[in-house]
Amino acid sequence: MLPIDAAAHSSRWRRRHPVDKAVLGLGLTVLAVSLPPWPGAALVLVTALVVLLGPAGVPARRLWRAYRVPLGFCVTGALTLLVQVGGEGGWVSPAGDGPLRAGELLLRTSAASLGVLLFAFTTPLSDLLPRLVRAGVPAPLVDVALVTYRMSFLLLDSVRRVRQAQAARLGHTTRAATWRSLGGLGATAFVRSFDRAARLQSGLAGRGYDGTLRVLVPEARVSVRFTALSVALLGALAALTLVLEGPLS
Amino acid sequence: MHIAEGFLPPAHAVAWGAAAAPFVVHGARSLIREVREHPESTLLLGASGAFTFVLSALKLPSVTGSCSHPTGTGLGAILFRPPVMAVLGTITLLFQALLLAHGGLTTLGANVFSMAVVGPWAGYGVYRLLRRTGVPLMTAVFFGAFAADLSTYCVTSVQLALAFPDPGSGFVGALGKFGSIFAVTQIPLAVSEGLLTVLVMRMLVQSSKGELTRLGVLVTTAAGRKPAEPAGAVTR
Repeated sequence: MLPIDAAAHSSRWRRRHPVDKAVLGLGLTVLAVSLPPWPGAALVLVTALVVLLGPAGVPARRLWRAYRVPLGFCVTGALTLLVQVGGEGGWVSPAGDGPLRAGELLLRTSAASLGVLLFAFTTPLSDLLPRLVRAGVPAPLVDVALVTYRMSFLLLDSVRRVRQAQAARLGHTTRAATWRSLGGLGATAFVRSFDRAARLQSGLAGRGYDGTLRVLVPEARVSVRFTALSVALLGALAALTLVLEGPLS
Repeated sequence: MHIAEGFLPPAHAVAWGAAAAPFVVHGARSLIREVREHPESTLLLGASGAFTFVLSALKLPSVTGSCSHPTGTGLGAILFRPPVMAVLGTITLLFQALLLAHGGLTTLGANVFSMAVVGPWAGYGVYRLLRRTGVPLMTAVFFGAFAADLSTYCVTSVQLALAFPDPGSGFVGALGKFGSIFAVTQIPLAVSEGLLTVLVMRMLVQSSKGELTRLGVLVTTAAGRKPAEPAGAVTR
């Protein structure tokens, strides 16, 4: 199982309806990209961090491991804003407002990423995907996504085992051997995915498969209180940004 | 590497989403039609999506010595065709955003446009063009995967340059900056992905002729005719 999904399955908020968590987590993300980075995104970042580590109970170590992935892209992308090409300073020169733009970009992306991580760390995809049909997504698409989701873990596990077996047979000792092993790994993943699909098809056909995959979804109701509190928090953040924007900028 | 969450300004995020939407809707319609006509296709398409997801998680040694992940769009487009890849790519990108924190939801449209639309179409276009001119299968597969990978990152550079124009030289200067980081450095990785795709395809031709024939990559010859490569089958 992937770390974020594993954490979501054992989250304190697992039993909450995905809409509750979407309003809060994705609402924070929308605020982060739409409010001025200073102080808006900074406020969103602090709020998301407090909610993640506090009420949502996400372990700090797990959060950092997931958070450093988008952070790497953001830092690399922000570096380009520090220099300008052409102009009076020569071919390449430091950009006048580069550090400010890079800082604002880092604030915005960091805050937005934490909002999505709040949703991802508390909502397993298995809770979310079946409910997408009610949101208007065509059932066949949701079924394909569900099969993809469930089969991905089996395939990832198979690939990990094949990789271990290849390593045990000195399959990664030389560059040529590594390439050969990698090619075998990709081909094995393809063969196994199709083999699993065929076996799943046979099994489902024996149970009267009519084209729709019915799965049990844990019962949960949208909490009016939780959603209202989330909306109030988002509104307060937006209002605070507008109030502080003048004095702090 | 996908554009991270919140990296694009809201107007750009919405615009790229709108640009990707027709391709995804077209792919979704053909996928839904296929599933309604052949319900068993759900499982095969789900397996294809899982394969794409797992392929993008493989660690790929770059020819420069570093390590990266293949996009998988070239192989996916050759095997499943670009319209289906638009949908499978969207599902994969959504999973990567929520399960791996790669990419994001506000940047999903931009990432879908580069990785699930332009990449597969460019790769498939190069592959088909080369096959029509009589280029051997594996050479066409290599250049198809190479084009898919590189075009994905070129489009990513364009998206970033449009969002963050250079103060001195505007879009062109920004394209040079982002291109040197996200596209030029990708050339050795695109070569690596091309080589990997050839290796995978060679093994698939040996071990999974049935599946490749079902997908239309290999076409069985009429009885009595001398088969082209590989034995017993000609390639599309």
